[in-house]
Amino acid sequence: MNQKKIKERVGLAALNVFFIALCFVTLIPILYALSVSFNGQNSLLSSDFSFIPKEFTLDNYREVLFGEDILAWFSNTVLLAASTVALSLSVAIPAAYCFSRRRFPGRRAMLKCLVLLNAFPAILSMFAIYRLLRSFGLINHRIGLILVYTGTMAVFSLWNTKGYFDTIPTEIEEAARIDGAGNFQVVTRIVLPLAKPSIVVTALMVLIYVWNEYIYATTFLTGEQNYTLAAGLYALQATEMTGSWPVFAAASITVSLPVLVIFFLCQKHMTSGLTAGGVKG
Amino acid sequence: MKRLTALLLALVMLLGLTACGGPKPSDAGANKLVVWHDKEDAVVEALSAYLAEAVPDLEIVFEKKTSLTDSLKLVGNDPTAAPDLFIFAHDKIGVFAEMGILAPVTELLGEDALADYLPMTLSAATYKGTLYQLPLYFETLLFMYNRRYMQDSEAPATTGELLDYMGRNTGRGRYGFVEQHSTAYYSAAWIHGFGGSIIDEDGTPFPDAQAVRDALAYHLQFVALMPGETEYSTVNTLFLEGKADATIGGPWMVPTARDAGIDLGIAPMPTVDTTGQPLAPYSGVQGIHVLKFAAEGKAEAVKTLLVALNDPAIGVSLALASGCAPANVKCYDDPSVANDELVQAMRATAEIAVPMPNIPEMDVMWTVVGNLLTDVNLSGKDVGASFDTALAKASELIAAMK
Amino acid sequence: MKKREKNEAAKKRRRGIFYSYAWSTPSLLLIALMVVFPILYTGYISLTNMNVYHWFDFTIVGLDNYLRALFVFDSGFLSALLATILWTAVNMVLQLIIAFVLASLLNIQKLRLRKLYKTLLMFPWAMPGYVSILLWKTGMFNTQFGLLNQWMEKLGLEAVRWLSSDLSAFICCTVVNLWLALPFMIMIMDGAMQSIDRSYEESALLDGANWFQRTRYIIVPAIRPIITPAVINTVFTTFKTFDVVYLLTQQAGAKTGSGFHTILTYAYENAFITNNYGYSSAISIIIFILLIVFSAKFQLREEGDL
Repeated sequence: MNQKKIKERVGLAALNVFFIALCFVTLIPILYALSVSFNGQNSLLSSDFSFIPKEFTLDNYREVLFGEDILAWFSNTVLLAASTVALSLSVAIPAAYCFSRRRFPGRRAMLKCLVLLNAFPAILSMFAIYRLLRSFGLINHRIGLILVYTGTMAVFSLWNTKGYFDTIPTEIEEAARIDGAGNFQVVTRIVLPLAKPSIVVTALMVLIYVWNEYIYATTFLTGEQNYTLAAGLYALQATEMTGSWPVFAAASITVSLPVLVIFFLCQKHMTSGLTAGGVKG
Repeated sequence: MKRLTALLLALVMLLGLTACGGPKPSDAGANKLVVWHDKEDAVVEALSAYLAEAVPDLEIVFEKKTSLTDSLKLVGNDPTAAPDLFIFAHDKIGVFAEMGILAPVTELLGEDALADYLPMTLSAATYKGTLYQLPLYFETLLFMYNRRYMQDSEAPATTGELLDYMGRNTGRGRYGFVEQHSTAYYSAAWIHGFGGSIIDEDGTPFPDAQAVRDALAYHLQFVALMPGETEYSTVNTLFLEGKADATIGGPWMVPTARDAGIDLGIAPMPTVDTTGQPLAPYSGVQGIHVLKFAAEGKAEAVKTLLVALNDPAIGVSLALASGCAPANVKCYDDPSVANDELVQAMRATAEIAVPMPNIPEMDVMWTVVGNLLTDVNLSGKDVGASFDTALAKASELIAAMK
Repeated sequence: MKKREKNEAAKKRRRGIFYSYAWSTPSLLLIALMVVFPILYTGYISLTNMNVYHWFDFTIVGLDNYLRALFVFDSGFLSALLATILWTAVNMVLQLIIAFVLASLLNIQKLRLRKLYKTLLMFPWAMPGYVSILLWKTGMFNTQFGLLNQWMEKLGLEAVRWLSSDLSAFICCTVVNLWLALPFMIMIMDGAMQSIDRSYEESALLDGANWFQRTRYIIVPAIRPIITPAVINTVFTTFKTFDVVYLLTQQAGAKTGSGFHTILTYAYENAFITNNYGYSSAISIIIFILLIVFSAKFQLREEGDL
């Protein structure tokens, strides 16, 4: 028994060492950016690099936070991302539930077609989407972008949630129906809690897509004050910051941090309702 | 679960709010002109300040647009989405003129107004005999050196001297001279120095094939003494860190070089020994273009704006604000412009510089020449064979444009 | 009596079908607008002569563009196609194996810091792609200043031009692509593993099943239906890789000399830059059809009861 415990401890320690090493290796490019962003000298490229900056300074972050429109971009991004996530989930969940539970003509064909849609190289889609948004009068309008983002992610959202719904045994639902629960209640009280991991994953995926998307954002929104973070960063990279790597590195890190915080906070919701005691017992 | 539902509902409401709060398309008042640009802040500040005084009745809105040309192709001549005017380099004039979204500038301004412009800038802005841009300033590449390592007397007058200098000063992580050797924009100078060109006015690629082959073969000796990277940041950093004594770079490098504490020298482009011609870089003429619908719908406002921009005063203030070389010759009468070493150097280079071709066919040549240069310089392929491949590719792509 | 019941049932079924359509409509409508419409529109443009010389006044020219597109399918195109297939296979296999192993390890309940590890491993995903690629290109692979060559120098080795030969460019692009794509795959696998009822695993453990058996017979079958859509999606995305390869090795003005092209970077250099939208659209449609044919050939079956 004791020996087994020791063995387990050693195993866990080895695992921890492995993950610390893995995280370090994975993060090398980011540590690099981090070191550059704290550096007083103006160079991303330097012939004698060390992970600990030689002249430590926070000036670059100060410049990012107060020198540019980054706070406006941040609120634009949050608004866009939150709206897109909300819209994506509210259209994907009912559809995914129907595709998972109901049988109706055209269901199989539609599911197959939806998968194949991903095969299209969307590099030239911009024209079509422009024509579409213009006819709705949505150029230069956030609603237009939200629709584009939601539409682009809709296939993934639908499939991803549907795949998870399929694994939830129908018996649970039937039991609830016998107890007198209506459709709406079955979905909100039984299915959604059980499918929470996949819904959180879907939401995160949409969020990160919107957070990092810059091509549609720079094309369909004009004027710097309307940019999202990724679009603003892209614009800066393309023009002003070509000479100022530390500021660019600081901006990149600043843009990424909120996503990481959200991810960290979401993790506890990524545990399934199933293991959390939904059906056991 | 209730919390999740509530959260979702709240988010949907937020969505509703976004709907009301989104940026609205501007309604087009007759005195309001929207100008797209992709310039640095200093240029736009100088322009806005000048225009606020010169044409107080007009409301001029400068909007910075990343990937401006792609957006213009998309919105074209659509008054609800396109700007009224835009500021950009002259090299896309052919594309936009063929698309039919540009208005000729001469009719709006009158022939006489253009008498004082440098001929190079006007020919750059002319496509098929029509002027489509009012030039503001231009950029050319310059031969720059770090006085700490290269003395004024060492600045090479000929490419032979340059090669000699490079041979003596390259090695152990240092370079005598660096440039973006496998990038079309930079290497064009070498091709021009041999009397060749990338494409002629009629859209024929490499009209003088032998000149291009000679230039490539000759250039190869220099490439051997330069790093195996051709992108901007490597070349830039080597020079700024004092690891390279000299470089060919644009005026945009000058402020950063001065900030980095480099004692910067600027010399004329060296001449090629065998041909006696200087390395003649491309020049880019930055100016204002008028979209067709604005020229028709807001003719008065557009004319007023163009007349204001025709005044030498704006050229002077641009030159002082960010070291641009004005297109209007009269600007150089101003003593502060005349004494600016950088502006003067570009003014001198303007005599030999070749305006970037503005025909639509040039769009594919950037890639063709880039591939040709990497094949020869970086992959070590044979000059003749690579050239033949490039020529065939160029003809194929140009044919595919129509 | 019986007839009425039957009628009721039929009515109920019809209502069920109606509701199914109704609830699916918003999602399907958005897909139709933002995904299907661009495909149809591209198909329409591919039949016209829309190019710089006929930007607004384009006319239908029939299948001309498709005929001309066949000329692009030269040896260069074929080798790009083969490279893309190899690229997709290598990337998908590595991605699935690595993501599976890491997700399994991250699911060991006794690993207390696993949330921290997971979050840190997500970092590559939290950055806009072009920023990460730029970081890799200038920070890691640059011959003069890149970290890799600085390390080579410290080890007393020669500096390497990482991105300039076909093979090493392929490997470097694969490293960067995995770096960018793994966080998503790990998250999907991790999410799917949450759905496995622990009691199955425990009873398998009690029955003396080893790690391999548990993986083969319990974990993989359980997560397969859940991850399949994401995996198929990733296969397509990998096949359509553009950014990683273009920005690392083929960007205009910063080419490295590598000849490694994916089908899309090849199409970009040989068609899209011509500003001929009719022609480029025809090429897009051909690539689309090609991919569908491939997926049919390799039986990318959508699993999870269809």
